[in-house]
Amino acid sequence: MTTDARNQYEGLPGDFAIWIFILAEMLAFGVLFVAYAFARAHDVALFNASQETLNRTFGAINTMVLITSSYFVVRAVNAIKCDLSRDCAWWLGMAWLLGAVFISIKCVEFYDKFSAGITLSTNSFYMFYLALTFFHFMHVLMGMIILAVVIVKARRGGYSSRDHTGVETAASFWHMVDLLWIILFPLIYVIR
Amino acid sequence: MTRNRFFTFIWIVLVALTLVTYAMGEAGIIGSGAMLTVLLIALVKGQMVANYFMGLWHVAPGWRLLILGYFLIVGGLIALAYGLN
Repeated sequence: MTTDARNQYEGLPGDFAIWIFILAEMLAFGVLFVAYAFARAHDVALFNASQETLNRTFGAINTMVLITSSYFVVRAVNAIKCDLSRDCAWWLGMAWLLGAVFISIKCVEFYDKFSAGITLSTNSFYMFYLALTFFHFMHVLMGMIILAVVIVKARRGGYSSRDHTGVETAASFWHMVDLLWIILFPLIYVIR
Repeated sequence: MTRNRFFTFIWIVLVALTLVTYAMGEAGIIGSGAMLTVLLIALVKGQMVANYFMGLWHVAPGWRLLILGYFLIVGGLIALAYGLN
């Protein structure tokens, strides 16, 4: 998308289509967040007891991992705006690695729960916990695939200060993944 | 460089706010005040990510209001549900 096209969409970074996708995903997660909160109101004791079995430290570490990876993506966008393709690829690579850290920590959490015999049908809390976090997990994986494609192109000098829509599109998606976790972490792991 | 320094500052604030949320969870602070504080922190963090990291600060105000509205509506409904206890 050229600069003229960007202005046409009020200066939104990246491809306009990704913003429609972002809003749709946020709406879907928003409905699930609210559904969780109202489901909890029907059985507060069960939700509080089940929440206690979660590893809040893992949740906090993953929050910081995603926030930091988002920051690295911002640095990548700033680098390509200065025609620093290699720097852009490096920052995106660091963000990708943190995505892998997030996935690894989530896998440990999922393993802990599944090995304890906890499934979607154990109770309402775990149904929401597993569904929400797995849904988000899949978005992180999708974001890592998008970042990987952009990293390869950036390393080949495929972006410049005049043409970096791909970098901004990937960045916008990655920030959305961070944005959703910013609500998910306090809702599932902290508030009681 | 100044631009990167600003984003580094935002990142530090986001990490600090995450630590506050985590500490409140670990301390077992409960009640409406704690719930609203944690939701308010999430609202502030969400606005920082949307406005500065996503770059919505530089686009038409409608987009910023859309994200702010999302956090207010979702956060408000969560607060309402927790208030039903």
